[in-house]
Amino acid sequence: MDRVVLLVRIAIRNLLASPINLLIGGLILLGTMVFVLLGGMLDSLNQSMQKSVVGSLAGHLQIYSAKSKDELALFGQMGNFPELPAINDFPKIQEALSKVENVKVVVPMGISAAIITSGNIVDGTLEKLRNLYKARDGQPGDPKLEGVPREELALRIASEIAHVRQIIKVLRGDVEKAMADMMNAKSVEPRNIEALQRVEQDAFWADFEKDPYTNLEFLENRIAPIVTDTSLVFLRYVGTDLDKFQKSFDRMRIVKGSPVPQGQRGFLIADLMHEDQMKLKTARRLDKIKDARANGRLIATDDELKRFVKENTHQTRELVLQLDGIKTAALVKTLQDALPSKKDSIDALLSELLATTDENFDQRFTQFYELVVPQVQLYRVKVGDMLTIKAFTKSGYIQNVNVRVYGTFAFTGLEKSPLAGATSLMDLMSFRELFGYLTSDKAEELKEIQRNTGARTVSRENAEDELFGDGAEVIAEATPGIIDPDAALAGTGRKLREEDLIRRVYTQQQLDDGVVLHAAVMLEDPTRMDETIERITQVSNEQGLGIQVVSWQKASGLLGQIINVFRALLFVAVGIIFIAAMLIMYLSVLMATLQRTQMFGTMRAIGAQRGLILSMVLVESLVLGLLFGGLGMLAGAGAISLIATQGIAAPNDVMYFFFSGPRLIPQLSTWPLVVALVIILVVTVGSTLLPALMAMRVSPLRAMQADE
Amino acid sequence: MSAIVTIQDVVKEYSLGATVVQALRGVNLTVDKGEFISIAGPSGSGKTTLLNLIGCVDTATRGVVEVAGQNTAKMSERELTNLRLNTIGFIFQSFNLVSVLTVFQNVEFPLLLQNKLSAKDRKERVEGLLEQVGLKTHLKHRPNELSGGQRQRVAIARALVTDPLIVLADEPTANLDSETGQAILDLMKSLNQKKGTTFIFSTHDHRVMRYANAVVRIADGKVTGRESPQDAVAHEMEGLDTRSTEVRAS
Repeated sequence: MDRVVLLVRIAIRNLLASPINLLIGGLILLGTMVFVLLGGMLDSLNQSMQKSVVGSLAGHLQIYSAKSKDELALFGQMGNFPELPAINDFPKIQEALSKVENVKVVVPMGISAAIITSGNIVDGTLEKLRNLYKARDGQPGDPKLEGVPREELALRIASEIAHVRQIIKVLRGDVEKAMADMMNAKSVEPRNIEALQRVEQDAFWADFEKDPYTNLEFLENRIAPIVTDTSLVFLRYVGTDLDKFQKSFDRMRIVKGSPVPQGQRGFLIADLMHEDQMKLKTARRLDKIKDARANGRLIATDDELKRFVKENTHQTRELVLQLDGIKTAALVKTLQDALPSKKDSIDALLSELLATTDENFDQRFTQFYELVVPQVQLYRVKVGDMLTIKAFTKSGYIQNVNVRVYGTFAFTGLEKSPLAGATSLMDLMSFRELFGYLTSDKAEELKEIQRNTGARTVSRENAEDELFGDGAEVIAEATPGIIDPDAALAGTGRKLREEDLIRRVYTQQQLDDGVVLHAAVMLEDPTRMDETIERITQVSNEQGLGIQVVSWQKASGLLGQIINVFRALLFVAVGIIFIAAMLIMYLSVLMATLQRTQMFGTMRAIGAQRGLILSMVLVESLVLGLLFGGLGMLAGAGAISLIATQGIAAPNDVMYFFFSGPRLIPQLSTWPLVVALVIILVVTVGSTLLPALMAMRVSPLRAMQADE
Repeated sequence: MSAIVTIQDVVKEYSLGATVVQALRGVNLTVDKGEFISIAGPSGSGKTTLLNLIGCVDTATRGVVEVAGQNTAKMSERELTNLRLNTIGFIFQSFNLVSVLTVFQNVEFPLLLQNKLSAKDRKERVEGLLEQVGLKTHLKHRPNELSGGQRQRVAIARALVTDPLIVLADEPTANLDSETGQAILDLMKSLNQKKGTTFIFSTHDHRVMRYANAVVRIADGKVTGRESPQDAVAHEMEGLDTRSTEVRAS
């Protein structure tokens, strides 16, 4: 013990004697501090990202077909969407996995993207007009119009006609603008101009009443397609067992509307998507200005906010298009009083209302929401709407599915994250139908048709023989895919089928029994993830389930790799620091050893064994490394706890996802401390071993030689 | 008196590149316990080589070197180190103190290597010795805060702290002025008389030789005779080697 004390004492004295040790110590301190600080932060980031990924979509593990050539990438990979082969026998997989220890629940899924159309304003207005005429003429149509007095119907018809004429005026303006711009002139088709010219004339409207249905048809076929307002929205969604999803992903909450009733078809839109892409742009911009102002930004000084105001004052078109005659007149009067203003055009009044400054913003914001919003449709897709989703099926043709929107949802803490808020949810049945996978009810429908028509199944191998062989009767000559099932089921029949589908309640067995593309696996104990992955792989191999298992990290695609990339960068940076420390240390210890050969010789002469000399040099470096490394660890840990008192605010919406909320609270983790300690030991011993061996071999004879 | 060092027909060769240099060419010498013996000879005569062999920091090419009854040729490196630690004390020409340790720690160092005494006993022993060499008041000084004479006294204390049977001193006064050198020799002599420790030191200074019981003359790697200090000094006076004396006297 006393010898160790002596060694340490000699070491400290020797260290103090040479100022270069301060430089080496400083490097070690810096390296350790950076490592502990950033290591801890990365760990916290990893944990919060895990919370986000696991809690929003992925679950702890994801399973998908072993045959898949693409890797599952829930949050997108560069380029294409992963193409996952279907898993046909989900019930068997579910049963097998539920028996694996640590598996809590398996949630079936199918991720995809589609384009939805929400119809355009003209379509909607013309539909309303048609229903009004039908109600007036006593034909069945919109049940809400039943019992409305004829006088009011006439008034409403007049208002809608004024609306249509307002739309036409806006369109005319668009066409004129396009014509003025020579580059675009060619893109305006002459027949569109002709059609517009016709409906602009008072004569068309004077005669409108004579044959409203024919005239409506003209408007529907010729005018509606010109309106470029048609909203096409690109939508990522996951088809899933919605009940199970909501129970398993407990951060999910409904923001608007209600959950899809158990076992029914339905759609839940990601709330951020709903706000960002489906809300009136004017309203969305006002919301954003309000948020920004709450964070201390000013319209007067902020370029982005200035741009928002400018866009709002110039782009009143989306509002004006929605206003029918009655509403326009009423709104003009309301705005004249409220602003107050003497202007009489709705365009000018809206522009004035939306020309917000820091002084009047709060008032104008309230006025917009109280006076204008009730007159227009705030969201292009509302809770309760039917959504038409188009997708390419596996066989390549476009399939449509209509689903009702029950509500919007968000994940607690991730409300503002574009990553978590990019994926909507669809029931599993609609999903399967959209993808051309056989759903259980379609399968029954098909059997029914087979029975009724006497069609029989022809296998591929026998097809030629059966169809064209001797004596075979030709059953049909048709090109598959030409018959559009939606066109075939037009009109009332289609509507009835739709309503039937909306109300239909599926049993759990029906939900489970069918194709899924992948599934989320929730674990009881997430720390035992690796172990469970192994077990599931083993079970899959034993029972021939044909699935592969990946962790949430892998399943999230590039996103999951980000932390690994950061971690690699950290190791490189810290590696450079430590390599520098190691080199300087090596040279300095080498110098010190060469300078002290007489001391080592003397010690050997008076009875020190070689081992003592070796450990003396090593202890010297170890003391240096551990002292400054320890200080570095303390500094790193101190920095982390200092940062943790405030947390790091997410600099932008994207970071909400990585921070799993508005702030990242970093925590000190053990591994950077342990790894740092190992690195310090390696660096110090590594850089000192060679000089230490040299010192050890110094002969005691060296003591006898006079100092040169 | 019994022999503590016995040297028989010892040859020591060094190879310098292709040529072999014989530093000792068949040396025979016996040193008895309690002797205060001086090895004298001109530079390059083999004094230091002989001391190195006795001090077990080097081994003979041929011949027998017995120290405290042990044949050093048959001992391992580790055993030789232990022999040095427990049996031999060293006093070096340039003192060779550990510069980062205090006076006390320098003297204590061999005791720590031995690992036999408690901290309390070590303190007692070290302080007692430092008192004997007149440095009781300098326990906490560092070597660079001491004069040459004071450093050599510390070195003497360090050499004696383990109670060795033999103390080897290689030109112990070479780096000291004559007055200090004499004081050091007085100290060594009194310790030799008090403790009965054998002292073997090399020198070519006739004033140093006077302190010895006997002077062993060595020239060209051979012992040329063993004489009384008086004869040795007389020899010196005849001018065998007077240059250094003159330099020192001036």
